[in-house]
Amino acid sequence: MKRREFLKSSAYALAGLALRPAWLQAAAPAETPELVVAQGSAQSATRAAVEALGGIRRFVSKGQKVVIKPNMSFANPPSWATTTDPEVVRELVSMCTEAEARQVLVLDHPLRDTEMCLERSGIAKACQIFEETLVMGLKDKRLFTQVEVPEGRELKTTFMMKDVLDADVLISVPVAKSHGAAGVSLSMKNMMGVIYDRAVFHWKLDLHTAIVDLCTVARPHLTVVDAIRLLSTAGPGGPGKVLRFDTIIASTDMVAADAYAVSMGEWYGRKFQPEQVRHIREAHERGLGRMDVEQFSIKRVSM
Amino acid sequence: MRFQRIVQLCLFLLFVGLLWKAAYPLPTWIPVDLFLRLDPLISAGTMIVARAWIPSVVWGFVILSLAVFLGRFFCGHICPMGITLDVGDRFLSENRERRGTRRKEDSLDRFRSAKYLFLAALITSALAGVSLLFLGSPLSLVTRFFVLVAVPLVSLASDFLIGVSAPVAAQLGWNRLVYAQVSVPQFTAALFTAALFLSILLLGVIRPRFWCRTLCPAGALLAMTSWRPLIRRSVDHTCTRCGICIRRCPMGAIPEDPHSTAHSECIVCLKCTEVCPENAVSFRWSPPDRREHAVNVSRRHILAAGGVGLLTAGLALTHPRTVHGRNVHGNLRHPDLIRPPGALPEKGFLDRCIRCGACLKVCPTNTLQPIWFEAGLDGVWSPRVRPRMAACEQDCNLCGRVCPTGAIRSLIVEEKRYAKIGTAFIERFRCVAWEEDRKCLICDEICPYNAIVMRPVPGNRSLAPFVNEPRCNGCGYCELKCPVLGQAAIRVSPHGELRLATGSYRREARRLGLIFEAEGGLEEEFLFLEDAYREPDPETDLREELPPGFILNEEEMK
Repeated sequence: MKRREFLKSSAYALAGLALRPAWLQAAAPAETPELVVAQGSAQSATRAAVEALGGIRRFVSKGQKVVIKPNMSFANPPSWATTTDPEVVRELVSMCTEAEARQVLVLDHPLRDTEMCLERSGIAKACQIFEETLVMGLKDKRLFTQVEVPEGRELKTTFMMKDVLDADVLISVPVAKSHGAAGVSLSMKNMMGVIYDRAVFHWKLDLHTAIVDLCTVARPHLTVVDAIRLLSTAGPGGPGKVLRFDTIIASTDMVAADAYAVSMGEWYGRKFQPEQVRHIREAHERGLGRMDVEQFSIKRVSM
Repeated sequence: MRFQRIVQLCLFLLFVGLLWKAAYPLPTWIPVDLFLRLDPLISAGTMIVARAWIPSVVWGFVILSLAVFLGRFFCGHICPMGITLDVGDRFLSENRERRGTRRKEDSLDRFRSAKYLFLAALITSALAGVSLLFLGSPLSLVTRFFVLVAVPLVSLASDFLIGVSAPVAAQLGWNRLVYAQVSVPQFTAALFTAALFLSILLLGVIRPRFWCRTLCPAGALLAMTSWRPLIRRSVDHTCTRCGICIRRCPMGAIPEDPHSTAHSECIVCLKCTEVCPENAVSFRWSPPDRREHAVNVSRRHILAAGGVGLLTAGLALTHPRTVHGRNVHGNLRHPDLIRPPGALPEKGFLDRCIRCGACLKVCPTNTLQPIWFEAGLDGVWSPRVRPRMAACEQDCNLCGRVCPTGAIRSLIVEEKRYAKIGTAFIERFRCVAWEEDRKCLICDEICPYNAIVMRPVPGNRSLAPFVNEPRCNGCGYCELKCPVLGQAAIRVSPHGELRLATGSYRREARRLGLIFEAEGGLEEEFLFLEDAYREPDPETDLREELPPGFILNEEEMK
């Protein structure tokens, strides 16, 4: 019950902070918090989180093209927490469809065999009921186009999915997991799945800086971190220790969502602060988002 | 179109369809290696070499028995090699018409006996324990040609066509075409295979179906049971002896007298019934007939051919890389020869492998490649895992499931994961983490089995990779992704491979202390094995040990 105690105490602490008049002035309007933490089943928590953030119509308007970017890079079942929970993805597709999006695409550039990833992750099947929605792993270079990274320090140029560039709305839906090189793989690391060549991140560029560089050009409008299950060790491919948090973290600030997920989670049996993950710290320093979890206006929903 | 053509075409489309479906996910209602199981030469030859009853290929014997009733219907109706040659012959036919006058004396030429000699050589080498069936089995040859040559070319063409039509498709909103992705398989030895097959096709310049009438050892086997089939060609009294059937018979199975037939050469293509102006020819239940012709094969030639088969087998047995029995010297196992997961022990594997290429086709990553002589003279075209090209997918068991003869065992995924194919080793002087002190941990990150451990080493600021051998399955992801240009710094060798003819891989792997899975169940359980997270070592660690990717926080830094 340590985890629950921690959640409780941090909730009290944050509530205390929120009561300060100075904070109230600086905060966003009460009805749209910066970050939502929803607890419950995958389906209900996802919906509740987006609702609490202002509803899907805040992000998706009628006739728009939406790209949902889950992590479906591995051919493992959802219970391994190496890929995004299919129900979370399905619920987001459902909401986008309700908002009358013109086209909803669920895309990733899988590490493993595409067909196997789509099937074993359960995401293709979960989204089957939405016939118009295509769930695809894109690997063909024809489907990518070169983009410059003007603010890039390490990454100056990269090939990005044309659909991501075309899309009116980009939604990042990573599963919360540890990562052998980046520390954690959350929404920022998730963006490595919309580009063609990520090997250079590892052997040529500084991984952490390159992730931040990439996120300057691939900025999701909505981030939904799936912490229904969290892969605490042996990420990104697992199998590792899987912890159940039954939590969905939603924000418009990808750095904030990642930072919260880091501080909420337990990694290799320990607690960490967001600043202990290099790419999160650098993103904060470069003004891409915020990692000062204590300062967020957080809305908690429990289903 | 005559009946035979329709059947032949439908079955050819089925053959191509099954080849196309030999991919993930495999159809469950039909074996994709169906046609390979029908080749009587594969059935008889493989069982002789393996000295075992192989249930999956008994269908070849069924075909052989049916030939007693129906003649060589297999060659004319079922064999995909046959229709491929028919198509080739059509392009070459112009030349042939000019020579039509010479056909009469050619009709039962002396070279026809070559197929019996070829068969004799293959059978004697099989009896000597060396499988050379892949040189003569029509199904093996034609499947191999389609897999190694046709599939890559067709994939390349469709990839190109999709590429050029994609902008139009996008305008029209045809999403299936816009997002269609074709992976173009690449194979070594494709050029050689193409040249071999082309030469078989070009023999059609001499005579139509030259391969079938002169060379095919499976045809020879079928001819032996169909020398007087119960349902066979018969000519009634309305025949005017115009001789058109003699000239048009693609097999030259009708000698000078149109009333007679060399049944063992007849492939029941029904051409003669079609061309006969008097409709005098029919295929029906016929009474005994003296005027039948058979191909004469001299006993001396058969003995000589058998001798050649034995000599070839002997050459294979004395090849330095032979895997056969007592003749193996030292340990000449080729350092890069990694067999597919679940492959039988090498000798048994080569006994059964017919080089059809089904496993090469089905492999989703394209890591399976044909070899040359790495496994001896009789190992040519057999499959190997080539990690630098692609890795062996962790939860994939397709190669074993499509192998028609069981050279690669068909394993359930849970078993296959324990079928260790080799072990990775690190050449430290090539590794950028070891040698250049760079923060490279790609092998660690990619390894699906958590077999790479990053450890501090004296003199280096970066962590360096080590292979945790009991966890290494040999899948080759590390070798594939190693950023060192040219030969990888981490490579898979066949060392430590598990090859079981029978029994559970899982049990054997456990007995050997190998760990290829997470412990316990899934949900809420602790999948993590303690050994992958190392306690800090005060002698080599100058800093506090943190999990991979994390850094010290502000206070700790001060």
